[in-house]
Amino acid sequence: MNQVERFARRCERERSARNQAERLLEEKSLELYHANVGLKQLARDLAEKEQRSSSILDAAVDGIVTVDEQGRIDSFNHAAEMIFGCSQKEAIGLDFSLFMESDEMNGGSIGDLSVGVLGNRTMIREINGKRSDETIFPMDLALSETYLGERRLLILVIRDISQRKQAELERVKMELQLRQAQKLEAIGQLAAGIAHEINTPTQFVSDNTSFLQDAFQDIKKLCGFRHRVIEAVEADTLTPELIETAKAVADDIDIDYLHDEIPEAIEQSLEGLRRIKKIVGAMKEFSHPGTEEKSCIDINQAIRSTVEVSRNEWKYFAEMVLELDPALPATPCLPGELNQAILNLIVNAAHAIEDQAEDDSDSLGTITIRTLKRDERVEIKVTDTGCGVSEDISGRIFDPFFTTKQVGKGTGQGLAIAYSSIVDRHGGTIGLESEIGRGTTFTITLPVNMASVKTG
Amino acid sequence: MKKRILFVDDERDLLNGLRRALRGQRKEWEMTFVGSGKEALELAESNPFDAIVTDMRMPGMDGAQLLEELVHLQPDIVRIVLSGQSDKEMVMKSVLPAHQYLNKPCDIDHLKNAIIRAFALRELIHDDKLVALISGMESLPSLPSLYLKLVGMLQDSDVTVRAVGEMLAKDLAMTSKVLQLVNSAFFGLGRRITNPVDAASLLGMNVIKGLVLSIGIFSQCDQSKLQSQGFSVDRLWAHSSKVASIAKRIAVAEHAEKSVVEDSMLAGFLHDIGKLILALNLPEILQQLQMASQDGGLAGLHHAEEMALGTTHGGVGAYLLGLWGLPEGVVSAVAFHHDPGALPDAEFSALTAVHVADVLANDDASDGYDFDHDYLQRLGIEDRIEAWRQLALE
Repeated sequence: MNQVERFARRCERERSARNQAERLLEEKSLELYHANVGLKQLARDLAEKEQRSSSILDAAVDGIVTVDEQGRIDSFNHAAEMIFGCSQKEAIGLDFSLFMESDEMNGGSIGDLSVGVLGNRTMIREINGKRSDETIFPMDLALSETYLGERRLLILVIRDISQRKQAELERVKMELQLRQAQKLEAIGQLAAGIAHEINTPTQFVSDNTSFLQDAFQDIKKLCGFRHRVIEAVEADTLTPELIETAKAVADDIDIDYLHDEIPEAIEQSLEGLRRIKKIVGAMKEFSHPGTEEKSCIDINQAIRSTVEVSRNEWKYFAEMVLELDPALPATPCLPGELNQAILNLIVNAAHAIEDQAEDDSDSLGTITIRTLKRDERVEIKVTDTGCGVSEDISGRIFDPFFTTKQVGKGTGQGLAIAYSSIVDRHGGTIGLESEIGRGTTFTITLPVNMASVKTG
Repeated sequence: MKKRILFVDDERDLLNGLRRALRGQRKEWEMTFVGSGKEALELAESNPFDAIVTDMRMPGMDGAQLLEELVHLQPDIVRIVLSGQSDKEMVMKSVLPAHQYLNKPCDIDHLKNAIIRAFALRELIHDDKLVALISGMESLPSLPSLYLKLVGMLQDSDVTVRAVGEMLAKDLAMTSKVLQLVNSAFFGLGRRITNPVDAASLLGMNVIKGLVLSIGIFSQCDQSKLQSQGFSVDRLWAHSSKVASIAKRIAVAEHAEKSVVEDSMLAGFLHDIGKLILALNLPEILQQLQMASQDGGLAGLHHAEEMALGTTHGGVGAYLLGLWGLPEGVVSAVAFHHDPGALPDAEFSALTAVHVADVLANDDASDGYDFDHDYLQRLGIEDRIEAWRQLALE
């Protein structure tokens, strides 16, 4: 091979190598170009994704905050800004415990709260948060964790529940007020009835007493004449005239009448005073001031005093029959509430009988109250001979505001309150059996054993 | 003859107490005691009573129902409720048929006096039919314009009880009825009240509404019918208001006590209520009376009244107001406003003020109305007439 040939071959090799290199360069440039385009797209996609998640984050109603393991805030969405009253810029880097009521932290950090949080397992707690103006508010806090590489982040989803809490409080308050209103209404009605039960004996006790006062004057007058007659006999100056006058006085004051009536007036006055004493005593027992805790009471006695204070509510329509089991054990109760529940049943029974009796007004119905012990429960049955409850309403009869009575006669709260009192506050049961036109029996059962009773 | 009184109560012991405590009246009264409205009605049917005292709430027939039935059976009976109930609904039912309402426990003397007073008032009127007529009246009719205005007011939730009271004060019928309610213990009040505005505020808006709109204690009078019988309702109202205002001014000028001033004004307003009662029930007699008064002045009127009624229109009005339990000073001022000398009083009273005011209000008409000079002389105030005349002109 000559030199020319070799040179030509080398040139050829170099040319082809250059061509190859150029091709490669072109290829690589193209690749680079494509890569660049892809990168731009990726960046755009990323930015879009980022924007999407941040706008999702910011649009979320719940506050979403991430904190690192030291409890420093890493991100803080718009809702969190609104909830805590603090901008994202101010918040980032702060210790999240600044946004919680100090009591909640117990000296620890947010990390302590996250014990038990593992991976996707979320933990929700209700705690008190603190706004930047130092006001404390209740919030639901949902904790979960995530890892960015080696970095563990806690994700906090925060819901301000102060409005819900407020509404709950309002509802509780309203229920309480309603209960109070019904109690007041019942007391008002009772007070009028009790006044009547006291006024009547007061009237005749005072009438009898004024009779006794007059009668005593008459008797004194007669005694005076007696005395004069005796003196006259002793002095032997008795005249027929004096005897006649003494007789006339005895006639005039109608001594036989006084003889019969005075003992009766005294007896009936004492009876009247006994009645007053009884109702005043029952009133005291019924009202049970200040007993907000369960205590063991004699249910029979509670029934007797409730019957007594409500006498004016039923006596015009019904006779009351009490069949109270003397062996009834003392039962843990809120005495005021139990009395109220029994009262509501009695008043209800009286109204049922009144409705039934409208046409045939001369005969009285009967209300029977029975007590007995059955297993570990005490049973109280209130039976009336009234109009009865039809099946379609018996399901609603314990609903608040449900009433079949005309306006002005009860608020529809009586049975609802009896229900909540017996079922919710005493762990008992209340139910009814009824037959239209024949009457209704309400049955209350109460647990006897203190241990089986949740304190209300 | 003994007065017959019926007591009704479902409580035996209560009846026994009343029977014993009223034993002192045994020579004047024949008293019967029964335990139910049914028994009471049965007895009253066969043998009429002069007065009834009944409980309100009883099993079966209640007191209000009993009185309603009795009004028809025996309108002249004096009807008193003695009740321990404070249930407003119950009380409202008795507002029309009961003359008076007493609360248990009631002092026995108070009950006794209420009955005695009702019987004494009856002495004012000798004619049994007239007694029955007045006792049977449950309310008086009002001036239609005032009545309609009142009903409108009561439907307006912004109206004050004071404004309502002032409205009541403009009407003879309304004034006398609300004063009956507060002077008797219908709503547990039982106070001596002579001012309808005070009465309204004591009763309260709800009670007044209930009474007017559902019980209907007031009604409109048929003005045109009365007009056709020659009786001008408007003139009666105008005259009554005038006398009320003059009587009040006179009482003030005489330095009378506040209660006398109030009685004077009220009695002045109500002094001719008897004429309204007559116009409603015995229009032809009232017509005769008016003619007699035109012909013969006061003397003519008196004579005609005696002839036709056996009493005066003052007596008629006084009997109703007395039955309704209005204060005694008002009742006697109404009864004797034409003839104050008939009472032995020697002191200035509402009667004096109303008598003088009535004469002065009639001054322009030369109808022979004149002062009872002997009476004014007895009180030693005859020299005040000129001053009063000046007062009346103001």
